[in-house]
Amino acid sequence: MAERPEDLNLPNAVITRIIKEALPDGVNVSKEARRAISQAASVFVLYATSCANNFALKAKRKTLNAGDVLAAMEEMEFERFLEPLREALEDKEKKPDSVNEKSREEEEEEEEEEEERMEEEPEVEAENDAEDEE
Amino acid sequence: MAATAATPVTPTEPDPDRCVSEEESRGAEVEEENTQQHTGPAAAVSHSRLSKLPLARIKALMKTDPDVSLASQESVFIIAKATELFVEMIAKDSLVYAQQGKRKTLQRKDLDNAIEAIDEFAFLEGTLD
Repeated sequence: MAERPEDLNLPNAVITRIIKEALPDGVNVSKEARRAISQAASVFVLYATSCANNFALKAKRKTLNAGDVLAAMEEMEFERFLEPLREALEDKEKKPDSVNEKSREEEEEEEEEEEERMEEEPEVEAENDAEDEE
Repeated sequence: MAATAATPVTPTEPDPDRCVSEEESRGAEVEEENTQQHTGPAAAVSHSRLSKLPLARIKALMKTDPDVSLASQESVFIIAKATELFVEMIAKDSLVYAQQGKRKTLQRKDLDNAIEAIDEFAFLEGTLD
């Protein structure tokens, strides 16, 4: 079942809550503004994903990882996000939950892929040496 | 040694006025904490460990990109967190324009103004309905 980007919106209730918590008391948000922010958030996810994926592809990895996302944030000029994101990552590691069990399967896939990449690396290095000799 | 009446006698019945004032002071403290969060630096706002945005939805969005094959759990989590930060940022930056218009309600045009004015939001131009 293919889902188009337009079909996937982030839940309005959560978006509204995030907005309300960010703004001072007494400030209201129109329905149109809320809808636009929700749309903007979806666009942000897509743009960040695309940017992060470029870093993964550059590193010859098929699996997007957190480091790729952090690199993407910097590329997108959202450096201010880097510190809170790193803190969130540390917090997550301190308190592992059942969600991490799923990620282990994915990490195993990543390791297998990275081992394949490592086998290819000596070839790349050999090419570089050849270039240096010239 | 005669025990004088200098020692204060604690009332056996709770003083209703005191209870109300305690609640009021507690409420005031909560409000103060909230305002401190709002006026403090953005980095000081505490974020819960869990992301508020549903990771499954975020991942489904990410997968609509044909170039993306696999995404680690961590990366989905970090994008969810980053999106939260983004929503906070764009809401706050748009509010400036509402305030300039002496309004207390954030409107769509405030968002448009922020997108046009702020470099980081340039990627949004032409993407919203």
